[in-house]
Amino acid sequence: MDSHPEATQLVKSRISIAAFLSAAAFAIIGARLVDLTILNADGPAQIAVAQPANGGRADLVDRNGVLIARDLPVSDLYATPASFWDSSEAATALSGVTGTSEERLREVFTSGRNYVLVARALTPDKRAEVMSLGLPGLVFEDGFKRYYPSGRSVSHVVGQVDPDGNGVSGLELGLNDLVRNSDEPVTLSLDMRVQFALQYEVAQIKESFQAIAAGGIVLDVRTGEIIAMVSLPDYEPNARGLGPGDSVRNRMTQDVYELGSIFKIFAFAEAVEEQTITLDERFVIDRPLRFGRYSIGDYGEHGHDLSAELVFAESSNIGTAQIGLRSGAERQRAFLDTLGLLSPLKTEIPEMASPLTPRQWGEIETATVSYGHGISVNPLSFVAAAASTVNGGTMVTPTFLKSSETQHGERVLSERASQIMRYLMRLAVTDGTGGKADVPGYAVGGKTGTAEKATARGYSRNLQITSFAGIFPSQDPRYLVFTMFDEPKGNKESFGFATAGWTAAPATGRVIARIAPLLGVSIDLAALTPAETALATP
Amino acid sequence: MIRTLNFAFVFLAGFTCLAVYRVAEEARISQADLRSTNAAIAEEENLLAVLGAEWARVTQPARIQALAARHLPLSDVPTTQLASLRLLPERALIPADEPAFRTASMLIPEPALEPAPLPAPLPVPARDPSVPAFTLASYPGM
Repeated sequence: MDSHPEATQLVKSRISIAAFLSAAAFAIIGARLVDLTILNADGPAQIAVAQPANGGRADLVDRNGVLIARDLPVSDLYATPASFWDSSEAATALSGVTGTSEERLREVFTSGRNYVLVARALTPDKRAEVMSLGLPGLVFEDGFKRYYPSGRSVSHVVGQVDPDGNGVSGLELGLNDLVRNSDEPVTLSLDMRVQFALQYEVAQIKESFQAIAAGGIVLDVRTGEIIAMVSLPDYEPNARGLGPGDSVRNRMTQDVYELGSIFKIFAFAEAVEEQTITLDERFVIDRPLRFGRYSIGDYGEHGHDLSAELVFAESSNIGTAQIGLRSGAERQRAFLDTLGLLSPLKTEIPEMASPLTPRQWGEIETATVSYGHGISVNPLSFVAAAASTVNGGTMVTPTFLKSSETQHGERVLSERASQIMRYLMRLAVTDGTGGKADVPGYAVGGKTGTAEKATARGYSRNLQITSFAGIFPSQDPRYLVFTMFDEPKGNKESFGFATAGWTAAPATGRVIARIAPLLGVSIDLAALTPAETALATP
Repeated sequence: MIRTLNFAFVFLAGFTCLAVYRVAEEARISQADLRSTNAAIAEEENLLAVLGAEWARVTQPARIQALAARHLPLSDVPTTQLASLRLLPERALIPADEPAFRTASMLIPEPALEPAPLPAPLPVPARDPSVPAFTLASYPGM
């Protein structure tokens, strides 16, 4: 045994080293075990986090947090008919829960196909009901569906998404990147209560005057926020395809119109700003203005002459054309350009029509543009420009995102000129064509517009676009309410009239009466008549 | 000595194996718990999302208006029925440390406290439609 003492010594030392290394390794593992199980037993544990319950698009909510659009988890239900004991019984049961036609299910279950679609987009509660049937051979494919709880109310503004969850129209397209990348709900400027009131009242008047289309906008003239926007006919965004009479055209942004007398706001704003008129100056309006073979006439009788302020209030084309001509073509064009009426409006909604402007801006064009003919703009552009003339004179850019900050855009009018425009618009309601827009206590101001529609054979006397732009409270406007009706027909209550004073003005008044209290605008005692004051005073 | 050490190491190794097994098993169970908790949370969140959407649908103004019209004998409030703070009469100003005020409940009702004079009614601007009172000069702010 001791024949190789050196070798034995070597083995012993190697065993010692190995033993030491093993002991060290076990000691380290043991120490770590003690550390993990005893010393750090309550250490950082992994927190259970669920995957976001949406298909990649954030919720859309209104300015008060009311839900407008949400990705809902849904399942498509497929079946393997060969697994059913009794395919007829399965068809009856599945039809009862999913709402799919029983006949169609019977047909596909007996068609010999291995794998058939039973129903699309089942909500989790429907899925649970299907599961409780206890049928074999059912397969669920999970997915998401964009759901709009308010349905038609928001169809045009919010738009739609494709099956892959990409926006294809409206704000869903315009805000696509924001909605896709946001972890929080995206807050819009819309107020769903106002949106409904606007839609309801406009639809009522559209119905009673049998208009082919209608629309409305409520804009905060200080912040530029669009509180509501409606275009009729609308469509059901949760349905597949359009129903009869439905339309996906947003007439407030996608269409351009010759808006008619409502454009006189700009002719007067320019004249007041440039001081080319005084409000008590008289304008002779007893005969049509002639330009070669064209002539400009008035709707109704206004007498021999009118003061400038009554030219506005009573909406005389002849008087306004004379006022427009004082500024001249170049200055008129520059002024409308400053108001953003000669170029497409840029906002979050992508469907925005470009204005149609006169190719040659001569004397007759200057005269007709001053009362809103010969120039076509989309209603939203008009609303933004009109708001800029009454909010103190600074340009507002409409936005669909909530923002409580007053915009300080480019100055387009002086404070005083803006103040005079508010007065003129109030006058058009108290003493002019917009009387039916007045709401006791809210000092509504505004301007009517009844435009003849251009047809292949010139302007039609019978087909009209009527509109009204109302501001309230007119001494310090906070909101502008615009309503528009396409081809309204007179009825018994209106004695056959279908002008703006009978259609758009009362529609705007009814909208204001409903929304002003909702928007927190308090009533103004000075705007009440004595009889109304007696009613209002406790 | 080596034998003792060997026994100790074998025992230690066995013990460590058991301990590692136990920890691994606990971790596996925790993972399973985590997965099922995550699934439960996801399911609850899905249900919440659906319920939130359902709530938005049933509380939308169009539906509430239709229900109110069917079941309530109420109509829209005309703006003349609304009041603002300016329309309320001002509160009578009696200092809180006024003895009569402090001991009001102990006083025999005669002589009765003089009622605080009501403020004069707010001036009502007379607006006769036949009089052209509405002019630029009378317009607020001008």
